[in-house]
Amino acid sequence: MRGVVAIAQNTVREVIRQRMVLVLALFGVGLVAASQVLSPLALGEGRKVVTDFGLAGSSLLATLLVVVLGSSLLHKELERRTIYAVMAKPIRRSEFLLGKFCGLWITAAALIAGMFAIVLGVVTVSYGETPWLVLGAMALTVLELGVITAIVVFFSSFTTPALTAFFAAATIVAGNFADDLLYFGSQGAAPWVARATEAVYWMLPHLTVFNARGAVVHGIAVAPERLAFAAAYGLLYLMALLIVAGAIFERREFR
Amino acid sequence: MSTIQDTAHRSGATALGGRGIHAVPTMPILSLEGLRKTYRDPMTLKPFTAVDEVTLELERGEIFGLLGPNGAGKTTTIKLLLGLARPTAGRVLLEGREPREPASRSKLGYLPENPCFYDHLTPLEYLDLTGALFGIAPAIRRRRASDLLERLGLGAHARKALRKFSKGMTQRVGLAQALMNEPRLLILDEPMSGLDPVGRSEVKALLREQRAAGVTVLMSSHVLAETEPICNRVGIMKQGRLVEVGTVSTLLQSGVREWEVAVEGMSDAVAAPFRAGGHDVERIGSRSVVRVRNGDSLQDVLRQMLQAGIHVHSVEPRRETLEEHFVRVLDGRTVARGGRS
Amino acid sequence: MRGWGGMVVAVVLAAALIALSGMVDRADRARRGAAAREELLYYPSGVWVRQATLGYETAAADLAWLRGIQYYGEHRLSDQRYDMIGHVMNIVTDLDPRFTQPYVFGAFVMSQELGQPQRGLELMEKGMRANPEDWKLAFETGFLHYVGTHDHAAAARYFARASALPGHPEYAERFAAFAAQRAGDRDMAILLWKRVEATGNKYMQEVARRELRRLGDGAEG
Ligand SMILES: Nc1ncnc2c1ncn2[C@@H]1O[C@H](COP(=O)(O)OP(=O)(O)OP(=O)(O)O)[C@@H](O)[C@H]1O
Ligand SMILES: [Mg+2]
Repeated sequence: MRGVVAIAQNTVREVIRQRMVLVLALFGVGLVAASQVLSPLALGEGRKVVTDFGLAGSSLLATLLVVVLGSSLLHKELERRTIYAVMAKPIRRSEFLLGKFCGLWITAAALIAGMFAIVLGVVTVSYGETPWLVLGAMALTVLELGVITAIVVFFSSFTTPALTAFFAAATIVAGNFADDLLYFGSQGAAPWVARATEAVYWMLPHLTVFNARGAVVHGIAVAPERLAFAAAYGLLYLMALLIVAGAIFERREFR
Repeated sequence: MSTIQDTAHRSGATALGGRGIHAVPTMPILSLEGLRKTYRDPMTLKPFTAVDEVTLELERGEIFGLLGPNGAGKTTTIKLLLGLARPTAGRVLLEGREPREPASRSKLGYLPENPCFYDHLTPLEYLDLTGALFGIAPAIRRRRASDLLERLGLGAHARKALRKFSKGMTQRVGLAQALMNEPRLLILDEPMSGLDPVGRSEVKALLREQRAAGVTVLMSSHVLAETEPICNRVGIMKQGRLVEVGTVSTLLQSGVREWEVAVEGMSDAVAAPFRAGGHDVERIGSRSVVRVRNGDSLQDVLRQMLQAGIHVHSVEPRRETLEEHFVRVLDGRTVARGGRS
Repeated sequence: MRGWGGMVVAVVLAAALIALSGMVDRADRARRGAAAREELLYYPSGVWVRQATLGYETAAADLAWLRGIQYYGEHRLSDQRYDMIGHVMNIVTDLDPRFTQPYVFGAFVMSQELGQPQRGLELMEKGMRANPEDWKLAFETGFLHYVGTHDHAAAARYFARASALPGHPEYAERFAAFAAQRAGDRDMAILLWKRVEATGNKYMQEVARRELRRLGDGAEG
């Protein structure tokens, strides 16, 4: 486990030092500023607009960070052969993978926390009221990012960065459409198509579970049982993915 | 090829320096048994055997040089014994453990070929990460890291990003990280590569020091002049096979000896019969050197010279260098029978 | 993950994941059923538009809302034709059904600027179905009935409904009482427009001032 911690720490450091975070943070601040400009145009709905844009922007940016940085994180180690020196230490490959996952998730979560703090601050200053309810949406977003990070790590355990980014993006899109898939499959398609779509439906992460943005902006709190459910679902889903990814990575040949 | 008695005789408590928990004298520190690695071209599926039936046992406290030309399979062998690649056949035991077990690597130091470390770290941070992976307490690893950097001449660069390091500096960081856990077994893939002459002699001194402390070293190289003076034993690889193993002196004893007879003022006419006798004659100014191939004819040659009144300046036996031996073995003129196959 | 212990843990985790997935599935199907019913009532595009925003539907609704207001503002300065406003507000409210302002504004424009109060009331009906507990939507529906279709009985009904919902202001009850007693009163209309002048957005305020002038009470406003 100490190996996992060391790798995670190193991954956090790597991502943070890649200035990517700085760019994203600036972008986040810019986004909030832009929504400030838009709010007078919103006919009295400025507060909702700022909150919506802030939440959507931070979740989008964190997802982007995870997909873009995550898809090359493992490959870069193999390509530059930095992994050789590390894997000659008493650490399992699956522990290495878990450390990468934790580091990336922690970084994404920290980024989300920072951006939500900006949203809270901007709304408080501009409208005199702190929308504490968005913290519920933040917790769910952090869980969602855990699942997305696991998806990225899973694909990167056996394929190239470009394909990882592609597959991860496809899975995220499909994960938002999971319930429609079933609907399409049931609309008079051949039985095997219906069965295949049903199988995909069951395997896909149902990301709508983690989306409470539409509720919190309208003052509806995230119920604790919803949070607990999402946490259980998200953690189990990402563990399943990581176990499979670890098994694949253990068997993979390094070049 | 080493034998059990040999190993038992050389290893033991002194070589281990009391460090080892698994100090069973009969347990070799590293053994390879019929190790083979076949790569398949992903497109054509054509197999290519990079390492072929390699069997070897290291003795505790020795420096073993794995020699061979480019592409001989040295790096592949090293990857196999670290578990970085999995063997197609055969097995590796590190003090009795499979390399897949993380614990088998806890007392092992490894320097990769052309090492590359994380760009975003400083050497100090990288060594700290290394120490953390070995489970060394923070205070100890901090001290050890700065000691090692000092020792390897990187004291002034301890806080500079590894991105800015030159090849030789990176090589030194590689040596430092291999020594972080005070290993019992050091595996160095071309440790001299990229180093300046001072660096090379420093590394040689370092390796001798490690040997004195009871550390076993396996190093690969093709710079024989660097290897010869520090290796107790060498193995020569050729096309994936370990064609010869032995101490440097035994390998060279089997080589043909030669005598160089230097004489003063020998005319071409006098030299002709020697040439006719199959000896090389080389003229340098007023001096000539006659290379005599074996001991029996040396007697004849000298007698003839003395009878002809030629002044014999010196008679020197010339042993084959490791380099010459190496080239001869690889040319395939004398594929050793005893070594392997 | 070695040996039997790891095996048991893996099986338990897998079972738990399957059970939770089943629960997610049930929630999805319930949502899909409700959405399908809604779709038949309206137009089939709405739900798909919402899915296409990949979970950012409220931000997308805001963008559509900003665009709709821009459209209104531009045409107010030029040709005063607002034909697309109903369509835009429908999209906004499909994306974010809890966003109440677009129902109110869209219905107000359709009723007072396009002279199509019936279309405006349809949008309000949609809003009230999505937000049955919202007093403001009920109140504004009553208002549109009063000043748009001049159906004063319906107006009284909706004012009464608004004053029964949580969070309603005191004036909702007042208007409910007035509407019941003084159906068709010009003073009532003036009061209602004054309320719009006090609480509506800047465009609605301008319309209110115009109406108040028309009703002969502009001087006070
Ligand atoms: N991942 C791989 N896939 C296919 N072939 C490989 C792979 N790795 C090594 N080889 C082949 O195996 C052979 C041995 O390579 P290896 O790197 O072990 O040589 P080496 O003895 O270390 O050479 P050098 O002295 O140049 O470092 C080479 O022919 C190489 O092309
Ligand atoms: Mg090599």
